[in-house]
This record gives sequence, structure tokens and C-alpha cells, in this order.
Amino acid sequence: MIGNDIVDLVQADKDSNWQRKGFLDKLFTAEEQFLISSDIQAPLMVWLLWSMKEAAYKINSRQTKLRLFAPIKLICNNLIVLNDKATGQVFYEDQVYFTATEIHGQDYVHTLASDQKPELEAARISIMNFQTGYRTTNPESVSHHGRYLALAYL
Amino acid sequence: MEKEEIISRLKPIISTYVEDKNTLEQLNEATDFIKDLKINSANLVDIVLDVEEAFGIEIDNLSMERMLTVGAAIEIIQTKMEG
Repeated sequence: MIGNDIVDLVQADKDSNWQRKGFLDKLFTAEEQFLISSDIQAPLMVWLLWSMKEAAYKINSRQTKLRLFAPIKLICNNLIVLNDKATGQVFYEDQVYFTATEIHGQDYVHTLASDQKPELEAARISIMNFQTGYRTTNPESVSHHGRYLALAYL
Repeated sequence: MEKEEIISRLKPIISTYVEDKNTLEQLNEATDFIKDLKINSANLVDIVLDVEEAFGIEIDNLSMERMLTVGAAIEIIQTKMEG
């Protein structure tokens, strides 16, 4: 099963003050906060980790049919960032979700997650300016934020 | 604190993070922050932080997990203020 999440970096900058007192503590583990504080592009790391959690959560909530707002329980692991790509894992209780993230300059961060690693390669991603009428294309996972619409197909 | 008073104090907090203000007209206990008000999940944390400040309470992670509706928020506020 796949899940995806897009963060419009311009929108995120407008909507969220991640430096607000308490903000990071509610969303990120101590290790994740260390990654953020030690990154020269701290805001980008915030949204990279956030999109990993959101993409993994989308799968988990469909699997369990449970909706919870528990960002701290979604734990990012083994993150490797290389230029404009990142891979990692998100642990949620006894589940592991594999992630592949694309960083598109200052525009957006998009993460695809799956509980089966080969699906990350098999999935097709389509990112466009937001528009309606995409439902008929039957995407497996949909993410909309700010200017962007990201569709993931298997 | 009565539910009505909590709702009236919650409304301006929630409103900050809602793009389509029309959705706030029907605000009630069943209102879902994400599904009904289209609040993005990162801003849900801002609501939690604003509520903590406004009501002088601390919302632990376990309570935050459930805080997806106005009704759940009211219940959490009431419990924390009694405690």
C-alpha cells in the first residue's frame, strides 16, 4: 500500500511558524529535532520529516481505519539525503514504512511511502498545479497543499 | 466551564487557521478540524498550542491524539481544567 504527501514550501512558510515555542516538541522526537537543528537548511528538514510522517500516516490510517493525531509516534529513521532526493523509514508501533522523497528546489517536498519497499519504484507520481477532476484517474493516494496536487498510482 | 463558553473561546482560535470562513458558521461538537474545516495537519499543532495558552492547560500527546473534532477539544479542555 502506498501513501503520499506534498508540502508546498511557500505555503508552509506562510502558514506555519515552526520556530514557535512548543511547535517542534509536539511534532518531532528528540532525534528528529537534532536533525533539524543541525541542518543548515533547517526549514527544509522540518518539512521533509513532516512529509515522511504524513505519507506514512496515510497508509497506517487506511490499514487500521483509525484516525489519530500522533506525530510523535511516527518516528523517522535512517534518513539519507543526497542532493534533491531522500530515503528513509518511518516506524509506527510495530509497522515499518519505507519512504522516498523528492526535494524540488524552493518549491515543494514530496514523499512517497509504502509498507513494501519495491512499491516505491513501481509507483508512478504525477505532480501538477492544483486542479479538480483528477478522481476519475483513480489515484491510489492524493495529496494537495497550496499550489500543488500530487497523485500517486500503482 | 460550560461547553458554550468553551466554543465561543475556541472559535477565534480555530478561525485563524481556516481558509474558508463560511465553514465556521456551522461550527458544532461534531465539526472535524481536518475534514470539515480543511485545516492542515501542521496547523492542528498551532491550535493545540493556542488552546494551551488560552486556557492555561497542558495538552499531553495522548490527549492530542484524539483532538480531531471540536467536541474532543471541548472534552479535553474540560478534563484538564478540572484536573
